[in-house]
Amino acid sequence: MTYDLSAPLEFDALEDVRPGSNILVSGPAMSGKADLCISMLADGSRRGEGAVVMTTGDRADEVLDDYRTRVEDLDESRVAVVDCRGEGSRSDERTAEGAYVYHVSSPGDLTGIGIGITKGLETLANNGAEEGRFALDSLSTMLTYTDRKTVFKLCHVLSSRFDSAGYVGLFTIDSEAHDDQTIQVIKQAFDGMIEIRDDEGTRQARLLGLAGQPTEWREF
Amino acid sequence: MSDADRPVVLIVEDEPDVAETYRLWLDADYDVRMAHSGDEGLDELDESVDVVLLDRMMPGLSGDEVLERIRDRGLDCRVAMVTAVEPDFDILEMGFDAYLCKPIKSDQLHETVENLLGRSEYDDLLQEYYALVEKQATLEAAKSNAELTESEEYVGVQERIAELQGDLSETLNGIDSDEDFIATLRGLNDLDE
Repeated sequence: MTYDLSAPLEFDALEDVRPGSNILVSGPAMSGKADLCISMLADGSRRGEGAVVMTTGDRADEVLDDYRTRVEDLDESRVAVVDCRGEGSRSDERTAEGAYVYHVSSPGDLTGIGIGITKGLETLANNGAEEGRFALDSLSTMLTYTDRKTVFKLCHVLSSRFDSAGYVGLFTIDSEAHDDQTIQVIKQAFDGMIEIRDDEGTRQARLLGLAGQPTEWREF
Repeated sequence: MSDADRPVVLIVEDEPDVAETYRLWLDADYDVRMAHSGDEGLDELDESVDVVLLDRMMPGLSGDEVLERIRDRGLDCRVAMVTAVEPDFDILEMGFDAYLCKPIKSDQLHETVENLLGRSEYDDLLQEYYALVEKQATLEAAKSNAELTESEEYVGVQERIAELQGDLSETLNGIDSDEDFIATLRGLNDLDE
Protein backbone atom coordinates (compact mmCIF):
# COMPACT_ATOMS: atom_id res chain seq x y z
CA MET A 1 0.00 0.00 0.00
CA THR A 2 0.94 3.65 -0.32
CA TYR A 3 -0.20 6.76 1.54
CA ASP A 4 -2.50 9.37 0.07
CA LEU A 5 -1.47 12.71 1.57
CA SER A 6 -3.25 14.80 -1.05
CA ALA A 7 -6.47 15.60 0.86
CA PRO A 8 -5.30 19.01 2.10
CA LEU A 9 -2.84 19.61 -0.74
CA GLU A 10 -3.68 18.39 -4.23
CA PHE A 11 -0.41 17.35 -5.82
CA ASP A 12 -0.27 14.16 -7.89
CA ALA A 13 2.93 13.09 -6.19
CA LEU A 14 1.19 13.20 -2.81
CA GLU A 15 -1.49 10.73 -3.90
CA ASP A 16 0.66 7.65 -3.54
CA VAL A 17 3.54 8.24 -1.20
CA ARG A 18 5.80 5.29 -0.52
CA PRO A 19 5.77 3.98 3.09
CA GLY A 20 8.92 5.13 4.83
CA SER A 21 8.93 8.55 3.16
CA ASN A 22 9.83 11.50 5.35
CA ILE A 23 8.92 15.03 4.34
CA LEU A 24 10.12 18.38 5.66
CA VAL A 25 7.40 21.05 5.78
CA SER A 26 9.06 24.46 5.62
CA GLY A 27 7.50 27.92 5.80
CA PRO A 28 7.39 31.16 7.77
CA ALA A 29 5.74 31.43 11.19
CA MET A 30 1.92 31.23 11.19
CA SER A 31 1.79 29.99 7.60
CA GLY A 32 -0.19 26.84 8.41
CA LYS A 33 2.60 24.24 8.50
CA ALA A 34 1.32 22.39 11.55
CA ASP A 35 -2.28 22.64 10.34
CA LEU A 36 -1.28 21.07 7.02
CA CYS A 37 0.53 18.18 8.75
CA ILE A 38 -2.31 17.52 11.19
CA SER A 39 -4.79 17.57 8.27
CA MET A 40 -2.71 14.89 6.57
CA LEU A 41 -2.71 12.79 9.76
CA ALA A 42 -6.45 13.30 10.26
CA ASP A 43 -7.15 12.02 6.75
CA GLY A 44 -5.16 8.89 7.63
CA SER A 45 -7.14 8.45 10.85
CA ARG A 46 -10.38 8.53 8.80
CA ARG A 47 -8.94 5.55 6.91
CA GLY A 48 -8.16 3.71 10.16
CA GLU A 49 -4.40 4.37 10.07
CA GLY A 50 -2.40 5.18 13.19
CA ALA A 51 -1.38 8.74 14.05
CA VAL A 52 1.57 9.82 16.20
CA VAL A 53 1.94 13.53 16.96
CA MET A 54 5.09 14.84 18.58
CA THR A 55 4.58 18.34 19.91
CA THR A 56 7.02 20.89 21.28
CA GLY A 57 4.45 23.70 21.56
CA ASP A 58 0.88 22.63 22.25
CA ARG A 59 -0.11 20.52 25.23
CA ALA A 60 -1.17 16.93 24.55
CA ASP A 61 -4.78 17.64 25.55
CA GLU A 62 -4.88 20.63 23.18
CA VAL A 63 -3.58 18.47 20.36
CA LEU A 64 -6.21 15.82 21.08
CA ASP A 65 -9.08 18.32 21.43
CA ASP A 66 -8.19 19.77 18.04
CA TYR A 67 -7.79 16.31 16.53
CA ARG A 68 -11.27 15.21 17.70
CA THR A 69 -12.89 18.13 15.89
CA ARG A 70 -11.22 17.03 12.65
CA VAL A 71 -12.12 13.35 12.59
CA GLU A 72 -15.67 12.13 13.03
CA ASP A 73 -15.99 8.93 15.10
CA LEU A 74 -12.27 8.96 15.82
CA ASP A 75 -10.85 5.69 17.15
CA GLU A 76 -8.55 7.21 19.75
CA SER A 77 -6.87 3.92 20.54
CA ARG A 78 -5.00 4.56 17.27
CA VAL A 79 -3.73 8.00 18.29
CA ALA A 80 -0.57 8.71 20.28
CA VAL A 81 0.92 12.02 21.37
CA VAL A 82 4.53 12.54 22.43
CA ASP A 83 4.41 15.75 24.45
CA CYS A 84 7.88 17.33 24.64
CA ARG A 85 7.03 20.58 26.33
CA GLY A 86 8.82 19.37 29.39
CA GLU A 87 6.97 19.49 32.66
CA GLY A 88 9.29 17.45 34.83
CA SER A 89 10.01 13.78 34.47
CA ARG A 90 9.08 11.20 31.86
CA SER A 91 5.67 9.61 32.28
CA ASP A 92 2.87 8.13 30.23
CA GLU A 93 -0.89 7.95 30.47
CA ARG A 94 -3.98 6.74 28.67
CA THR A 95 -6.71 9.36 28.23
CA ALA A 96 -10.33 8.56 29.10
CA GLU A 97 -11.03 8.41 25.34
CA GLY A 98 -8.23 5.87 24.82
CA ALA A 99 -5.39 7.89 23.30
CA TYR A 100 -1.82 7.15 24.41
CA VAL A 101 0.19 10.10 25.74
CA TYR A 102 3.88 10.11 26.62
CA HIS A 103 5.44 13.10 28.37
CA VAL A 104 9.11 13.78 27.69
CA SER A 105 11.14 15.79 30.21
CA SER A 106 12.26 18.42 27.63
CA PRO A 107 12.61 18.86 23.84
CA GLY A 108 16.30 18.09 24.35
CA ASP A 109 15.56 14.72 25.97
CA LEU A 110 16.22 12.51 22.96
CA THR A 111 16.18 9.28 24.97
CA GLY A 112 12.69 10.15 26.21
CA ILE A 113 11.61 11.00 22.66
CA GLY A 114 12.87 7.59 21.52
CA ILE A 115 10.97 5.79 24.27
CA GLY A 116 7.79 7.83 23.68
CA ILE A 117 7.76 7.17 19.93
CA THR A 118 8.54 3.48 20.48
CA LYS A 119 5.74 3.03 23.01
CA GLY A 120 3.37 5.04 20.80
CA LEU A 121 4.09 2.88 17.74
CA GLU A 122 3.76 -0.26 19.85
CA THR A 123 0.41 0.83 21.31
CA LEU A 124 -0.99 1.66 17.87
CA ALA A 125 0.17 -1.66 16.43
CA ASN A 126 -1.43 -3.52 19.36
CA ASN A 127 -4.68 -1.71 18.56
CA GLY A 128 -4.62 -2.86 14.96
CA ALA A 129 -2.92 0.07 13.22
CA GLU A 130 0.03 -1.40 11.32
CA GLU A 131 0.26 1.66 9.08
CA GLY A 132 0.36 5.22 10.19
CA ARG A 133 1.49 8.80 9.90
CA PHE A 134 3.80 10.79 12.15
CA ALA A 135 4.07 14.55 12.59
CA LEU A 136 6.71 16.52 14.51
CA ASP A 137 5.96 20.18 15.24
CA SER A 138 8.45 21.70 15.32
CA LEU A 139 12.12 21.17 14.50
CA SER A 140 12.66 24.90 15.10
CA THR A 141 11.99 24.39 18.81
CA MET A 142 14.30 21.37 18.80
CA LEU A 143 16.99 23.61 17.31
CA THR A 144 16.75 25.99 20.27
CA TYR A 145 17.41 23.12 22.69
CA THR A 146 20.21 21.41 20.86
CA ASP A 147 22.60 22.09 17.98
CA ARG A 148 22.19 21.60 14.23
CA LYS A 149 24.35 18.50 14.21
CA THR A 150 22.21 16.75 16.80
CA VAL A 151 18.93 17.76 15.13
CA PHE A 152 20.23 16.55 11.75
CA LYS A 153 21.18 13.19 13.26
CA LEU A 154 17.85 13.00 15.10
CA CYS A 155 16.00 13.57 11.81
CA HIS A 156 18.06 10.90 10.09
CA VAL A 157 17.47 8.35 12.85
CA LEU A 158 13.73 9.10 13.04
CA SER A 159 13.47 8.87 9.24
CA SER A 160 15.23 5.50 9.29
CA ARG A 161 12.92 4.25 12.03
CA PHE A 162 9.77 5.30 10.13
CA ASP A 163 11.22 3.74 7.02
CA SER A 164 11.54 0.40 8.85
CA ALA A 165 8.11 0.82 10.46
CA GLY A 166 6.46 1.66 7.11
CA TYR A 167 5.17 4.99 8.38
CA VAL A 168 5.25 8.38 6.69
CA GLY A 169 6.77 11.27 8.63
CA LEU A 170 6.07 15.01 8.42
CA PHE A 171 8.40 17.47 10.15
CA THR A 172 7.80 21.23 10.36
CA ILE A 173 10.49 23.91 10.38
CA ASP A 174 10.21 27.70 10.49
CA SER A 175 12.04 28.80 7.36
CA GLU A 176 12.68 32.30 8.70
CA ALA A 177 14.02 31.29 12.11
CA HIS A 178 17.25 29.74 10.81
CA ASP A 179 20.02 30.59 8.36
CA ASP A 180 20.04 29.09 4.85
CA GLN A 181 22.80 26.63 5.68
CA THR A 182 20.75 25.15 8.54
CA ILE A 183 17.76 24.55 6.27
CA GLN A 184 20.03 23.12 3.54
CA VAL A 185 21.62 20.69 6.00
CA ILE A 186 18.40 19.59 7.74
CA LYS A 187 16.72 19.10 4.32
CA GLN A 188 19.26 16.41 3.47
CA ALA A 189 17.77 14.11 6.14
CA PHE A 190 14.45 13.95 4.22
CA ASP A 191 13.07 12.39 1.05
CA GLY A 192 11.18 15.51 0.06
CA MET A 193 10.08 18.93 1.12
CA ILE A 194 6.84 20.92 1.05
CA GLU A 195 7.54 24.66 0.93
CA ILE A 196 4.88 27.08 2.08
CA ARG A 197 4.72 30.80 1.40
CA ASP A 198 2.27 33.58 1.94
CA ASP A 199 1.49 35.47 -1.27
CA GLU A 200 -0.53 38.61 -0.52
CA GLY A 201 -2.76 36.86 1.97
CA THR A 202 -3.12 33.52 0.20
CA ARG A 203 -1.28 30.42 1.31
CA GLN A 204 0.66 28.65 -1.40
CA ALA A 205 2.69 25.47 -1.38
CA ARG A 206 4.98 23.53 -3.66
CA LEU A 207 6.50 20.10 -3.44
CA LEU A 208 10.19 19.36 -3.97
CA GLY A 209 11.95 16.04 -4.09
CA LEU A 210 9.42 13.22 -3.89
CA ALA A 211 8.79 13.05 -7.62
CA GLY A 212 11.62 14.63 -9.54
CA GLN A 213 11.15 18.25 -10.53
CA PRO A 214 9.73 20.84 -8.12
CA THR A 215 6.01 21.45 -8.67
CA GLU A 216 4.43 24.83 -9.37
CA TRP A 217 3.23 26.94 -6.45
CA ARG A 218 -0.39 26.15 -5.70
CA GLU A 219 -2.94 27.73 -3.35
CA PHE A 220 -4.29 25.61 -0.55
CA MET B 1 42.26 -10.98 11.06
CA SER B 2 45.30 -10.02 13.10
CA ASP B 3 44.93 -9.53 16.84
CA ALA B 4 45.37 -5.79 16.53
CA ASP B 5 42.31 -5.43 14.29
CA ARG B 6 40.01 -7.62 16.31
CA PRO B 7 37.32 -5.92 18.37
CA VAL B 8 38.00 -6.12 22.11
CA VAL B 9 35.36 -7.68 24.38
CA LEU B 10 35.72 -7.43 28.14
CA ILE B 11 33.85 -10.02 30.23
CA VAL B 12 33.10 -8.95 33.80
CA GLU B 13 31.70 -12.01 35.60
CA ASP B 14 32.34 -13.33 39.09
CA GLU B 15 31.57 -16.98 38.34
CA PRO B 16 34.73 -18.46 36.74
CA ASP B 17 32.97 -21.29 34.88
CA VAL B 18 30.45 -18.95 33.31
CA ALA B 19 33.16 -16.44 32.34
CA GLU B 20 35.26 -19.21 30.80
CA THR B 21 32.30 -20.43 28.73
CA TYR B 22 31.75 -16.95 27.27
CA ARG B 23 35.46 -16.67 26.51
CA LEU B 24 35.51 -19.99 24.63
CA TRP B 25 32.54 -18.91 22.53
CA LEU B 26 34.00 -15.52 21.64
CA ASP B 27 37.71 -16.30 21.41
CA ALA B 28 37.76 -17.11 17.70
CA ASP B 29 36.33 -13.75 16.63
CA TYR B 30 37.37 -11.23 19.25
CA ASP B 31 40.22 -10.21 21.51
CA VAL B 32 38.64 -11.37 24.79
CA ARG B 33 39.66 -9.98 28.19
CA MET B 34 38.41 -11.20 31.55
CA ALA B 35 37.70 -9.62 34.91
CA HIS B 36 36.25 -11.44 37.89
CA SER B 37 34.81 -8.48 39.77
CA GLY B 38 33.56 -4.98 39.17
CA ASP B 39 36.81 -3.48 40.50
CA GLU B 40 38.94 -5.69 38.25
CA GLY B 41 36.67 -4.75 35.37
CA LEU B 42 37.34 -1.05 35.89
CA ASP B 43 41.11 -1.74 35.99
CA GLU B 44 40.91 -3.59 32.68
CA LEU B 45 38.93 -0.85 30.95
CA ASP B 46 40.60 1.51 28.54
CA GLU B 47 39.95 3.14 25.15
CA SER B 48 40.65 -0.11 23.32
CA VAL B 49 37.62 -1.94 24.76
CA ASP B 50 34.69 -2.03 22.31
CA VAL B 51 32.12 -4.11 24.16
CA VAL B 52 31.69 -4.95 27.86
CA LEU B 53 29.61 -7.91 29.04
CA LEU B 54 28.69 -6.95 32.56
CA ASP B 55 27.10 -9.24 35.11
CA ARG B 56 24.56 -7.24 37.06
CA MET B 57 24.73 -9.17 40.34
CA MET B 58 28.28 -9.41 41.65
CA PRO B 59 29.79 -9.20 45.13
CA GLY B 60 31.55 -5.85 45.66
CA LEU B 61 30.80 -3.30 42.94
CA SER B 62 27.49 -4.14 41.21
CA GLY B 63 27.00 -3.98 37.46
CA ASP B 64 25.00 -0.76 37.81
CA GLU B 65 27.86 0.89 39.74
CA VAL B 66 30.45 -0.25 37.21
CA LEU B 67 28.31 1.16 34.39
CA GLU B 68 28.02 4.49 36.15
CA ARG B 69 31.82 4.73 36.49
CA ILE B 70 32.31 3.75 32.84
CA ARG B 71 30.00 6.58 31.75
CA ASP B 72 31.65 9.00 34.22
CA ARG B 73 35.02 8.24 32.66
CA GLY B 74 33.55 9.11 29.26
CA LEU B 75 34.54 5.79 27.67
CA ASP B 76 32.45 5.16 24.59
CA CYS B 77 32.38 1.37 24.83
CA ARG B 78 29.07 -0.47 24.52
CA VAL B 79 27.84 -2.21 27.64
CA ALA B 80 25.57 -5.26 27.67
CA MET B 81 24.08 -6.17 31.01
CA VAL B 82 23.83 -9.84 31.88
CA THR B 83 20.88 -10.42 34.14
CA ALA B 84 18.65 -13.14 35.54
CA VAL B 85 15.40 -11.20 35.00
CA GLU B 86 14.06 -9.67 31.79
CA PRO B 87 14.07 -5.87 32.14
CA ASP B 88 12.05 -3.16 30.33
CA PHE B 89 13.29 -0.12 28.37
CA ASP B 90 14.34 1.27 31.76
CA ILE B 91 17.70 -0.45 31.42
CA LEU B 92 18.28 1.61 28.26
CA GLU B 93 17.38 4.73 30.23
CA MET B 94 19.96 3.70 32.85
CA GLY B 95 22.66 3.74 30.19
CA PHE B 96 23.02 0.06 29.27
CA ASP B 97 23.13 -0.64 25.54
CA ALA B 98 21.63 -4.13 25.64
CA TYR B 99 20.79 -6.93 27.99
CA LEU B 100 21.16 -10.68 27.98
CA CYS B 101 19.08 -12.99 30.16
CA LYS B 102 20.76 -15.96 31.79
CA PRO B 103 21.25 -18.70 30.73
CA ILE B 104 22.85 -17.29 27.60
CA LYS B 105 23.40 -19.31 24.44
CA SER B 106 26.41 -18.96 22.16
CA ASP B 107 24.51 -17.56 19.17
CA GLN B 108 22.73 -15.00 21.38
CA LEU B 109 26.04 -13.79 22.72
CA HIS B 110 27.55 -13.46 19.24
CA GLU B 111 24.47 -11.67 17.99
CA THR B 112 24.53 -9.16 20.84
CA VAL B 113 28.24 -8.39 20.44
CA GLU B 114 27.82 -7.96 16.67
CA ASN B 115 24.80 -5.74 17.17
CA LEU B 116 26.70 -3.51 19.61
CA LEU B 117 29.64 -3.24 17.22
CA GLY B 118 27.07 -2.33 14.55
CA ARG B 119 25.83 0.53 16.70
CA SER B 120 29.32 1.95 17.04
CA GLU B 121 29.78 1.67 13.29
CA TYR B 122 26.42 3.38 12.71
CA ASP B 123 27.43 6.31 14.97
CA ASP B 124 30.70 6.72 13.10
CA LEU B 125 28.96 6.62 9.71
CA LEU B 126 26.34 9.12 10.83
CA GLN B 127 29.04 11.48 12.09
CA GLU B 128 30.89 11.31 8.75
CA TYR B 129 27.60 11.72 6.87
CA TYR B 130 26.75 14.86 8.85
CA ALA B 131 30.21 16.37 8.26
CA LEU B 132 29.86 15.82 4.50
CA VAL B 133 26.34 17.24 4.37
CA GLU B 134 27.73 20.38 6.05
CA LYS B 135 30.54 20.48 3.52
CA GLN B 136 28.10 20.10 0.64
CA ALA B 137 25.93 22.95 1.94
CA THR B 138 28.98 25.18 2.39
CA LEU B 139 30.18 24.54 -1.17
CA GLU B 140 26.68 25.13 -2.56
CA ALA B 141 26.47 28.47 -0.78
CA ALA B 142 29.88 29.60 -2.04
CA LYS B 143 29.79 28.54 -5.69
CA SER B 144 27.51 28.91 -8.70
CA ASN B 145 25.89 25.83 -10.28
CA ALA B 146 28.39 25.94 -13.12
CA GLU B 147 31.31 26.05 -10.71
CA LEU B 148 29.88 23.17 -8.70
CA THR B 149 29.70 20.83 -11.72
CA GLU B 150 33.33 21.65 -12.43
CA SER B 151 34.43 21.18 -8.82
CA GLU B 152 36.14 17.85 -8.19
CA GLU B 153 35.75 18.40 -4.48
CA TYR B 154 31.99 18.87 -4.77
CA VAL B 155 31.53 15.82 -6.99
CA GLY B 156 33.63 13.79 -4.53
CA VAL B 157 31.53 14.93 -1.59
CA GLN B 158 28.33 14.00 -3.42
CA GLU B 159 29.62 10.54 -4.31
CA ARG B 160 30.69 9.84 -0.74
CA ILE B 161 27.30 11.05 0.57
CA ALA B 162 25.52 8.59 -1.72
CA GLU B 163 27.81 5.76 -0.52
CA LEU B 164 27.20 6.64 3.12
CA GLN B 165 23.43 6.65 2.61
CA GLY B 166 23.72 3.08 1.42
CA ASP B 167 26.03 2.05 4.26
CA LEU B 168 23.77 3.66 6.86
CA SER B 169 20.68 1.88 5.59
CA GLU B 170 22.50 -1.46 5.75
CA THR B 171 23.99 -0.98 9.21
CA LEU B 172 21.55 -2.09 11.95
CA ASN B 173 19.13 -2.88 9.08
CA GLY B 174 18.18 0.78 8.97
CA ILE B 175 17.33 0.77 12.70
CA ASP B 176 14.54 -1.77 12.66
CA SER B 177 14.68 -2.68 16.36
CA ASP B 178 13.32 -0.61 19.25
CA GLU B 179 16.50 -1.09 21.29
CA ASP B 180 18.74 0.15 18.46
CA PHE B 181 16.45 3.13 17.96
CA ILE B 182 16.34 4.23 21.62
CA ALA B 183 20.03 3.55 22.24
CA THR B 184 21.07 5.50 19.12
CA LEU B 185 19.02 8.51 20.22
CA ARG B 186 20.44 8.25 23.73
CA GLY B 187 23.90 8.28 22.18
CA LEU B 188 23.10 11.61 20.47
CA ASN B 189 22.17 13.03 23.89
CA ASP B 190 25.44 11.84 25.41
CA LEU B 191 27.49 13.44 22.64
CA ASP B 192 25.57 16.66 22.99
CA GLU B 193 26.31 17.05 26.69
